[in-house]
Amino acid sequence: MLFGTDRHPTEGTLRRLVDDPAGVADADRAHVADCPVCLAGVAAAQDDARAVATALTTDVTATDVSPDVDRAWARLRTSTAPAPAAAPRARRRRVRAPLAAAVGAAVVLGGAGVAAAADWLPVFRTEQVAPVQVRTADLVALPDLSAYGDLRVLSEPDVRTVGSAAAAEDAAGLDLPQVRALPGGVTGDPEYSVGDQVVAEFTFSAAKAATAAGAGAPPVPAGLDGSTFRLTAGPGVAQTWRGGASGAPALVVARVTAPTAFSDGVPFDTARDYLLSLPGLPADLAAQLRGFTADGTTLPLPVPADLATTSTTEVDGHSATVVATRDGSVTGVVWVADGVVTAVGGSLSEDEVLAVARDLR
Amino acid sequence: MSGDAVRPDLEQVFRAGYPRVVAVAARVLGSRDEAEDVAQEVFLAFGRTTVPADEAPQWLSVAAAHTALNHLRSGRRRTAREQAVTDPDPVTPDVADDVVTREERRRVRAALSRLPRKQAVALVLRHSGLSYADVAAALDLSPGSVGTTVRRAESALRKELSTDAVRN
Repeated sequence: MLFGTDRHPTEGTLRRLVDDPAGVADADRAHVADCPVCLAGVAAAQDDARAVATALTTDVTATDVSPDVDRAWARLRTSTAPAPAAAPRARRRRVRAPLAAAVGAAVVLGGAGVAAAADWLPVFRTEQVAPVQVRTADLVALPDLSAYGDLRVLSEPDVRTVGSAAAAEDAAGLDLPQVRALPGGVTGDPEYSVGDQVVAEFTFSAAKAATAAGAGAPPVPAGLDGSTFRLTAGPGVAQTWRGGASGAPALVVARVTAPTAFSDGVPFDTARDYLLSLPGLPADLAAQLRGFTADGTTLPLPVPADLATTSTTEVDGHSATVVATRDGSVTGVVWVADGVVTAVGGSLSEDEVLAVARDLR
Repeated sequence: MSGDAVRPDLEQVFRAGYPRVVAVAARVLGSRDEAEDVAQEVFLAFGRTTVPADEAPQWLSVAAAHTALNHLRSGRRRTAREQAVTDPDPVTPDVADDVVTREERRRVRAALSRLPRKQAVALVLRHSGLSYADVAAALDLSPGSVGTTVRRAESALRKELSTDAVRN
């Protein structure tokens, strides 16, 4: 066996000599300089690196021309203007339709860490989890509920990080699920976050709806004008292990009180079906939503169909929905039991996520 | 916080980071237009996060690589590209060259999409100019293993390209 400077450096060290020799230890550099085997290794690495660099820049115009930042920024502003708000104050004015109200719940569910993984946030409703698939574009193009009445956010989630599991449980009044065994590659201590209950009130206005929807609007159901609906979600707690792909967490385990909708008269499903029938929502999505049980407690969160797939399974005897990004890099599972939604997700395989979910205490 | 639906520092982060994000995505996709589409997705996602501004450059580069790789694997692109290869623009003067270039691009992107995700991201980030330390932090690798990961990715990519070339 060879030791010290006599030992051949790793292939990674030889690779680093190609483009960052200053980052290689002196002893390794000295070894390579006198070692024909390692010199050949460096030459091979250099050859591969050069060939790959050329291959990655096949389209010269793709990388050589500076993009028009002003034009790109104008485009982004157009996209972000009607988006569901990330900030509580913005949400006061911008919460959209029942779907977007559920996005508020998702913020409670996942906390700030999960917001980074906006592509995989799961779907839930109070009694049973069910997916609704929409395209990403629909997420930022949902009709603004304020056009159909008055929307008031009465209580903000105030998602925040706290120092311990006990502090998170105290703040939310929920038991934080305990992970017994972390999947391979997930290490370290989690970050604990908590969000308060979100409460919003929406008062339907027939006059506003008629203006917003134009001549194509169907007649307003009797009693809907002036009806107020109270939407609540949360509180919620989450623990997040960092280090996953693309800013996504390595693992998140979250629990949130299921979203509910209350009505002061007209059933909530009447309002929902009417809103969904108005121009502005894709017809296929509206049809899917109408298929939900009309118990007034359904608040599905859309899954971008072009980015994620869904399937169903069971966790502890409860029907659960598995959401996976199409590249398989991020998977989540979510289920509802006794009015509480639990979600497990991260940069993991479906098997790993389900193993954690089924082993929670 | 303003009434806008995005974090208040988004414009500043966008203007500073946009060219880099487009460049990272372009290395994966080989198309400036598609890279700019990816950049829009990346900044939309960033706008919904609370990632600290000083960590934004790294977050954006990683997100650009992942999002572009996701596009590669969606199948939509492959279909479009293969269509382009088999149906070149008849008014292009150098049709043969054009077809060859497109075919090379197709092979590179196909090979890239078959690499393990961590290798592909490490490769793209390093070739986009991120330091070994930045790539290590972005992928939760030890600094010493970045070179190994990049090396294996380059070796695998070359093999894929030569195999693919023989097959074609």
